[in-house]
Amino acid sequence: MVCEQMFDRSPTRPQGLQALAERVRPVAASRTRVLPVLPPVAALLPEGGLRRGTVVRCTGPAAPSLAMAVAAGPSAAGSWCAVVGMDDLGVLAAAGYGVDLERVVVVRARPAEWALASSILLDGIDLVVLAPPRHARSAVTRTLAARARDRGAVVLVVGGGQGFPAELELSVASAQWHGLAEGAGRLQSRRVCVVARGRGPAGRPSRQELWLPAATGKVAAA
Amino acid sequence: MSGEVPLPRLLLVECPELAAPEADDGDAHLRRFGRVLEGLSEVCPWVDAVRPGVCTLPLRGPTRYFGTEEAVLARVAGAVKAVLGGPGDHGPVPWVRMGVAEGVFAAALAARAGTVVAAGETARFLAPWPVGELGDPELADVLVRLGLSTLGRFASLPAADVLARFGTSGAHAHRLARGLDGELPGYRVAGTGARVVAALGRALALQDRQPGFWGGTSEADRRAAAVLTDLQRRLGPDAVRVPVLRGGRGPQDRCRLVPWSPASGAGGGTSAPAGPQGTGPQGTARQRVRQRAARQRVPRRKALPEAPWPGHLPPPAPARLAVGDRPAQVVDDGGIPVGVTARGLLTAVPARLSVDGGPWTPVMAWSAPWPVEERWWSAARRRVARLQVLTVDGTARLLVTEGGRWRVEATYD
Repeated sequence: MVCEQMFDRSPTRPQGLQALAERVRPVAASRTRVLPVLPPVAALLPEGGLRRGTVVRCTGPAAPSLAMAVAAGPSAAGSWCAVVGMDDLGVLAAAGYGVDLERVVVVRARPAEWALASSILLDGIDLVVLAPPRHARSAVTRTLAARARDRGAVVLVVGGGQGFPAELELSVASAQWHGLAEGAGRLQSRRVCVVARGRGPAGRPSRQELWLPAATGKVAAA
Repeated sequence: MSGEVPLPRLLLVECPELAAPEADDGDAHLRRFGRVLEGLSEVCPWVDAVRPGVCTLPLRGPTRYFGTEEAVLARVAGAVKAVLGGPGDHGPVPWVRMGVAEGVFAAALAARAGTVVAAGETARFLAPWPVGELGDPELADVLVRLGLSTLGRFASLPAADVLARFGTSGAHAHRLARGLDGELPGYRVAGTGARVVAALGRALALQDRQPGFWGGTSEADRRAAAVLTDLQRRLGPDAVRVPVLRGGRGPQDRCRLVPWSPASGAGGGTSAPAGPQGTGPQGTARQRVRQRAARQRVPRRKALPEAPWPGHLPPPAPARLAVGDRPAQVVDDGGIPVGVTARGLLTAVPARLSVDGGPWTPVMAWSAPWPVEERWWSAARRRVARLQVLTVDGTARLLVTEGGRWRVEATYD
């Protein structure tokens, strides 16, 4: 029986070899080329999901929330999500949008280390949510974008980060809170208008009205 | 203390990876653990399977037989090593840790620290550990707020007062902290021995196909564990943190970031620390024990069930928490500072807000204050109230006031 077991594990058998190939294959070629996102967010993305190897920038007043709403889909589908340069992220809010906290890691990096940290993370984490320092050098951001492309990861840049060669920019054009009055009520939901702009002439801007969050705490189409 | 039966001196052997893995690997982990038990029973016939992955053996008898405790420890280590990673065993050698102390509770902590606590020193050994080790988050929360953050401090309270204030479960925890009682309630999993025997006896038709211990952890989990280990090595353990939810009223209380460890996520088996003697962060032995304890206090991340917590804020949670002290000023139309009365009402209508001494922004909407009385049991109690404020620029903030001072606690970014 021991023999049988050994045989079963042997990588020389075609089946074993296939499994081995699956494991050592670069991440970029792994099963899914596009990471799934929640339906309300899908309308903003040209392929209906986050294409691996790309950089997406979230800007505007509700940028952190938007990034979390974008990250919720891949997170729920099993991807890990690393947050760099956002020590102040409200993790409860992330959980509210649907990010699975069991696969979230918050990385604190000094200004001199954020690029190193991000580049290590891109090696093995599908989704790196990044708030780069204001004066990030473009050589560094280009290197990180290339790394993401190479490793098949997705970089979500929150705020600024103009140096990042982003394939897609999601900017919150307007945001309005509902539920709070003069001395009464509480913050309940926020209606935002998100404009998605792709790179190049083909990328016609598209608009989407969202509840970020809706009264349920999640993201919803308005 | 007189008349107490002294707790037996125990050697505790723990294989964290052989405890129940989250994914179903059949009985593979139980079978491996069973073989460890078999190996140990050759050193001492009274091996006690406390729970999957954890067993103890009394040291008194074997020490008499083998001469010294050291000799027994060496035999046990040899037996474990011979079983795990020996011929007929598959998969990477799991992480094994051992410790000696009086009683199961102290021995488990000793195993975590990888130490042999000298006879009669158990209470002193327990003293610096955090009260969270008592396995009762509510009790620990209260104790920490009372300033009793370590077992030693808790132990120094008079037993009668503890019984009066915290009831029987608190009294039991108090006895554990004093090193008088043996086991954390719920630590022992009844019937572990029987399950192991059943697993060993069961036909091995089920092939042990998963080479790792983490059974069903996905490829994504393994890759993540590898890079996080790498990152932690370069930036230090505190740079890589994972969220843990717990009870509390404010957003800052309700989520805590703790250093990531391979065991806290669905980490990769290969990146698990080498063991008690593994490469730890620099510092004194005690610091290292503490750091290790801090990392291991949360063995697996699971969201706590939403506990009823009076005065806690309703969702949605703010997307950004204030870092450090962010003083704010709230004034009414006449420029007079707005406060909160003892009955939890605002003293005036808020008209303008300034943050960090910055420009004044008109206030558009605000909530009624959420009064929170923290430390109600202590003389130095503080009255705190929270307020949601929306300014005309569209920014919604959570403010908190205490002693007539406002500060920004979070932003609904």
